[in-house]
Amino acid sequence: MPLRIKDLWRRLCTTLFGASGEEVDEELSYHIARETELHIAAGMTKEEARRQAMIAFGGIEKTREQCHEQRTAASLKTVLRDVRYAFRGLRRAPAFAITAVLTFAVGIGATTAVFTVVDRILFRSLPYRDASRLVSVGIVAPIEPQEFMLGYTYYEWQDHQTPFETLMSWTGSNNCDLTEQSALRLTCASVEANFLPALGVGPLLGRNFTAEEDRPNAPKVALISYQLWRSRYGRDPSVVGKTVSLDGTPVRIIGVLNKDFELPTLDSADVLVPEAIDPASQRGANPGRVRWAFARLKPGITIEQAEAAMQPLFQQMLTTVPPQFRKEVHLRVRSLRDRQVHDAKLAAWILLGAVVLVLMIACANVGSLLLARSSIRQREFAIRRALGASKARLVRQITTESLVLALIGGIAGCLLAAVLLRIFQATAPLGVPYLEKAHLDLRVIAFAVIVSLLCGILFGLVPVLPKPDAETIVGRTAIGAPHGRIRQLLVMGQIAVSLVLLAGASLLLRSLWNLQNQPLGMSTKGLVTTTLSLGGLHYSKPEQQMAFFQLLEERLRKLPGADAVAISDSLPPGGWHHDHIYAALRIEGKPLPAEGTGGTVAWRWVTPEYFRALTIPILQGRGFTEADRASSNHFMIISHSLARYTFQNEDPIGRHVQPGLEGPWYTIVGVAADVKNGGLMGTDEPEYYRLRRNSPEDWSRDASLTVATSIAPAAVERWIHTEVAALDPTVPVVTETMTQRVSKLADRPRFEAALLALFAMIGVLLATMGVYGVIAFLVAQRTSEIGVRMAMGATRLDILRLMGMQGLRMVAAGTLAGLFIAAIGSHALGSLLFGVQPNDALSFLSVCLLLAIVGALATLVPASHAAKVEPSQALRHE
Amino acid sequence: MSPPSTDLLQGTLDLLILKTLALAPMHGWGIAQRIQQVSHELLQVGQGSLYPALHRLEAKRWISSKWAPSENNRRARFYSLTRLGRKQLESELENWKRVAGAIALVLEEG
Repeated sequence: MPLRIKDLWRRLCTTLFGASGEEVDEELSYHIARETELHIAAGMTKEEARRQAMIAFGGIEKTREQCHEQRTAASLKTVLRDVRYAFRGLRRAPAFAITAVLTFAVGIGATTAVFTVVDRILFRSLPYRDASRLVSVGIVAPIEPQEFMLGYTYYEWQDHQTPFETLMSWTGSNNCDLTEQSALRLTCASVEANFLPALGVGPLLGRNFTAEEDRPNAPKVALISYQLWRSRYGRDPSVVGKTVSLDGTPVRIIGVLNKDFELPTLDSADVLVPEAIDPASQRGANPGRVRWAFARLKPGITIEQAEAAMQPLFQQMLTTVPPQFRKEVHLRVRSLRDRQVHDAKLAAWILLGAVVLVLMIACANVGSLLLARSSIRQREFAIRRALGASKARLVRQITTESLVLALIGGIAGCLLAAVLLRIFQATAPLGVPYLEKAHLDLRVIAFAVIVSLLCGILFGLVPVLPKPDAETIVGRTAIGAPHGRIRQLLVMGQIAVSLVLLAGASLLLRSLWNLQNQPLGMSTKGLVTTTLSLGGLHYSKPEQQMAFFQLLEERLRKLPGADAVAISDSLPPGGWHHDHIYAALRIEGKPLPAEGTGGTVAWRWVTPEYFRALTIPILQGRGFTEADRASSNHFMIISHSLARYTFQNEDPIGRHVQPGLEGPWYTIVGVAADVKNGGLMGTDEPEYYRLRRNSPEDWSRDASLTVATSIAPAAVERWIHTEVAALDPTVPVVTETMTQRVSKLADRPRFEAALLALFAMIGVLLATMGVYGVIAFLVAQRTSEIGVRMAMGATRLDILRLMGMQGLRMVAAGTLAGLFIAAIGSHALGSLLFGVQPNDALSFLSVCLLLAIVGALATLVPASHAAKVEPSQALRHE
Repeated sequence: MSPPSTDLLQGTLDLLILKTLALAPMHGWGIAQRIQQVSHELLQVGQGSLYPALHRLEAKRWISSKWAPSENNRRARFYSLTRLGRKQLESELENWKRVAGAIALVLEEG
């Protein structure tokens, strides 16, 4: 068996490159050996015989060279001739060439651009050593969708886990200020000392943290990002060892991170500092510090095995969890890539699928074009066969032509892909992982070229499959009858695929419309918002924080056109807000729920004008008043859904509530209407509002300001900048209108819907070209038949019907097939849809209608040409 | 010392090779020997042109080659005629006969 494979291999090599040098040598030496034997038989000595044989042969080296030349020259010459011939042929049919190249370019360009984006999300290796062994480990609870860990169990797990080489964590990032001359707001991330070694990355300069530096009260050290090193320190290597001031504390820089370093969660960080947490203090604490844990699997251990191995530790942890939590907490171990792309994965696959469909339509179109062209050239081919050209020779020539087309199309496609990628990057929302870093590279271009070559070969060969016969040479037969059937099938396929694309796009567009037009429970017009975060150096005490914000509130109130000024610590309808489990809300006169967490409850700190600014109606009781702010009592307003859930038909006003099961009791003074708070797509939580009083305990370093205004928001935005700068120019200010904020939440679905709609449009356009091309071709083919029919008394309407029916049948069949596929496939969209079912009848119906209209137009235009044919002319048509 | 050799007309070597291979597959040395024998030692095929010709014919797919043990049990490269080669032989033979006939006519006239 292996011998045969070897033989086959040699045959292949010989066919491609001619005989190898060794083979020629062996062949020639055999000849000389036989010649020598002959002379020996004639009586010569061995030496003399060999000498004579060599002399008779002449120059061995020369012969060997000539043997080689014969082969390589022959094959190279044919290739060159074929390429030249292909170019000449294409120049003679410019319309065909341009259409085919453009179609290729669109298909390959779109595919390449999307592949570039998706490749980063789905396939590209992460910038860590042996990244496939990195996993994210933690518990999932209703309060946090991504797995996390708590301090007291983390160290237990670290000590007793078996499936991992290392278990490491980071405790999140926070704002920190570089408090030197020209202060700079940075993001600092706190990591364990074993964090970088476990990821398998080292610093570019300097060194990693030592275990000693990761202890509380150790001298402060930091690693800085490459970007900070470049922008702030001008790539000065002497920065390592320098002491800088972070939030007023001296910190020594011990190293610079790599250029492509990223945190495993993809959060941005300018500075890495050690966690400096004492494990001993954490073990005793419950729950301890929240952290995100990652681990490196031991070699040969799968994720499933690791999860199973962690179960005993997890079960042990469950016993320490309050009973109401137990059912809702799970262990999760998943690959780092899954953790990173989280919800982008589905969208990525959908886009990749869509773009492959576009490529298929494009390939079918080119195939259809090539078929039409070969139908016309069948006579030429038949004549050339008759003149002695072998079939293989013709196949090679046709394939060369399609490969030349595919290559030109592929090159144009790469250019188009570069443009498309720029457009994606400019329009895509934040949070599409890696998009900023996506760029066309050799791998992707190789992908494009291979795809285009495959398309070229596949469809280039179709025309030569049927055998031309003698009659074709005469040119009197119905040329292209078998091709016609293949082309019709291709067109039907194109229509089916475009229907699938259109259906997907229309579903996404409808859910986008639903997203943007759902009631939010609040007004978004005339609202300017800004989120401020005070520096840790000058605002470490709550008194300082309260003083700053109250002063700012007062100044903003004096602005002309400021109707209401609210200070809260978060804003609806999406983004971060406080939340806790419902079971942690103690209500006077009611027992705590015995089992289950009761889901989560959202809450915010607000000032009295919050409800007026956002026009949230108070349904029952009263809103907060300015007088409440001076009170030593605590006041609360609850949302309608919380009131109904907790008090059913009882009156909630005047009841007392203790959030978090400890601390002060709050008096409920009112019930506010429900406002969306789980983002545009998420489910809403019941909510309550705590009044921010004139007492430092109610304040923190972060606050969201909302100014309701009836004048142009741009002016108010400018004034806010001025007012904040007047109080403290070092506080960074970013303002945006509430409309912008809300619109941003729909960025992702909008991007997905827009892309799919674009692909669907390209698909329909190509499919339309396909239908038009086939019908126009059939009309041209049957011109003389039409002439005969008309001479025999067929009316123009009959002709229109004859030609039109053929096209409409294709459109109908394609639509039906597409409908069938779309009905099955649309379920894949699943969680991307909002407020619309995957088999939404209205979407499907409108898509069918659109395709039917376009298909009918593409049919009727060429068919009506047929109807306008003059019988006398048509009969003379060859 | 060597018998008087007649220079081969341009293109005739191909014809002779094809004709020889039409009888049975053969290796290069065998082809040379056979042409020599059949022509009663009149036609001496120069080995320096035989092998390039064989490779050229193979590149044209008129003949194909295969390694096999030879009469003296050494590995040799055997050439055989392909279907395409057979057709080519027929058309060249016809051509040759016409040309030869035409030449003969002219010579006899003279």
